[in-house]
Amino acid sequence: MLLDYSLCLIQVIFEVFLPSKIKMSTSLNVFIKSNTGNTLSIELDPKWDVRRLKENVAPKLGLSPVDVKIIFSGKELMDSIVIEECDLGQQSILHAVKIRHVDKQHLRDRTDSEGSRPMNETLVDWQLSAIDRKHLNTEEDREREKAQFFVYCSSPCKTMKPGKLRVRCASCRSGAFTVKCDPECWDDVLHMNKIRGTCENAICVESHKDGSQFAEFFFKCAEHPSQGENDQAVPLDLVKSNIKDVPCLACTEVKNLVLVFPCKEGHVTCLECFQIYCLTRLRDRQFSSHPELGYTLPCPAGCADSLIKEIHHFHLLTDEQYAMYQRFGTEEYVLQAGGVLCPQPGCGMGILAPEDCRRIQCLSGCEFVFCRVCRQGYHLGECSDQDMDTSEEPVNCQYKVDPVHANQARWDEANKITIRITTKPCPKCRTPTERSGGCMHMVCSRPQCGFHWCWICQTEWTRDCMGNHWFG
Amino acid sequence: MANIAAQRIKREFKEVIKSEEVAKCAIKVELVSDSYTELKGEIAGPPDTPYEGGNFVLEIKVPETYPFNPPKVRFLTKIWHPNISSVTGAICLDILKDQWAAAMTLRTVLLSLQALLSAAEPDDPQDAVVAKQYKDAPDMFRLTARYWTAAYAGGPYSNPDFDSKIRRLTDMGIESHDARVALSSFNWDLERATEQLFS
Repeated sequence: MLLDYSLCLIQVIFEVFLPSKIKMSTSLNVFIKSNTGNTLSIELDPKWDVRRLKENVAPKLGLSPVDVKIIFSGKELMDSIVIEECDLGQQSILHAVKIRHVDKQHLRDRTDSEGSRPMNETLVDWQLSAIDRKHLNTEEDREREKAQFFVYCSSPCKTMKPGKLRVRCASCRSGAFTVKCDPECWDDVLHMNKIRGTCENAICVESHKDGSQFAEFFFKCAEHPSQGENDQAVPLDLVKSNIKDVPCLACTEVKNLVLVFPCKEGHVTCLECFQIYCLTRLRDRQFSSHPELGYTLPCPAGCADSLIKEIHHFHLLTDEQYAMYQRFGTEEYVLQAGGVLCPQPGCGMGILAPEDCRRIQCLSGCEFVFCRVCRQGYHLGECSDQDMDTSEEPVNCQYKVDPVHANQARWDEANKITIRITTKPCPKCRTPTERSGGCMHMVCSRPQCGFHWCWICQTEWTRDCMGNHWFG
Repeated sequence: MANIAAQRIKREFKEVIKSEEVAKCAIKVELVSDSYTELKGEIAGPPDTPYEGGNFVLEIKVPETYPFNPPKVRFLTKIWHPNISSVTGAICLDILKDQWAAAMTLRTVLLSLQALLSAAEPDDPQDAVVAKQYKDAPDMFRLTARYWTAAYAGGPYSNPDFDSKIRRLTDMGIESHDARVALSSFNWDLERATEQLFS
């Protein structure tokens, strides 16, 4: 009686907190894949238990229900489990496998133990320690405690969505695979060869007689119907639901969804503040170009070794901002690789040319031919400070324009002059730098450069500069 | 002003008001505009330093991108210190530049500035003249800093010798601040200060 009551309660909570489940209770269209290569499409009622599913499916595969086991998401589903507890979505793929003789022995000793619950039921949030878990008492807490994943769904949702964890065999990539134990942390999931399991695929069974292959974990978007076995999404492992009610480090509000930085302290920002943090750093060109990770950011609290490793987290920016992120990242890569960016306004094509080549043509872009040193139109001899390219005088023109005046009246030229007057280039990387007060000791603002130089000498900062003209 | 910046500053403002340092009159913060973009800070000169007994007023400007970029802070009260410009009040402190972190607050900034008054860093100076004196003539530096504290920040120590030297120059029509700067820069050598002022 009491059990019934609590089941009923869980049901109610399910419906309150996961309204999407209500839709599923009408009818669910799933695929059943056998390890002999057959695929069936069936309609099922989410209220069915697995026994009923077997009775429905087995005859179609020419088997008797007792000879079939149903595998989903790395787990064999026991007969008493109700389908709607299994986190199935429309067009999900279940695997129906004929039980091997070795297994039958085991089967007799086995009950519906904890290990055979569907994975979404057994996984608890990895950010919680064992002690934290004990303190979660209410049903609501336990519901929140259940593992929640967030993914970047590149197609068709094109945004961050809740995700589902799925498992397949690491060698044959078949989903007819059961894990020996649940993953316990992100490392188990993100790195290969951490969790062992058994593959039921006929080919794999042959080649691994001991039945001990490695599991490969991947994620799916929970929002759209499954688009087949190759429909995957990138896990955003730093995005978590804020179970511990930690306030955001920037706005100090407690939000439901947060991003936890990979630093020792695990600093927390809400997603809105993360977006503003990225945008601020992006506009100042203060992202770090890491040779392996890419164009990324550390924890805003200044912690050591805190770079974001999964750069898909930057998809939390708007499309326009992300486009800027991509462009800046690419430019930084080109510059770091010793390349140049086409100086033609509106072009900016990245060009990787041999080090000793001074005449550069923007071949795949605007065709502009320019000098590598002064970034002006290509010329013979030394670069001059003034622009070399005086436009050719039009022959039959209604009115004459003085080429000198025309040269000064160009929109971009005004910008160039302002930049030339107010800035000096970093002696090392040539980045135009503005000095807005303070002393003459400059530190190049490009994070990849960081050169210490003297505003007056325009060379490396020395003790002599310190002695002679610290303050001008 | 961005919502986040205003919200953060509001909280930090309360944090300072409620802090034990305010209770001890060591730091203070006031609003200049209702929008929380500009604040006025005040720190007491730490004991056993030439700044003891003085109150130093700071201008704090909060950028749109706060807390991801540092607040812009400068001394409004004139001060004689190697890391603070005696002319503009600009401050050379790493946490207000590249070492800023989003977890820092108004309170930590004010306390760091107070710590800077206790322990100067002459190897990263903002004011080269002061820094040179700090290293080469530490006694002269202490007297000068204490004298400036009395003149601009309400410090208690008077120095009749320095007073009379300044009077000699003001009698010649020099502004008293300019006289103080010139004399301070030349270790209170009246002859060299006069020479510089009239050259």
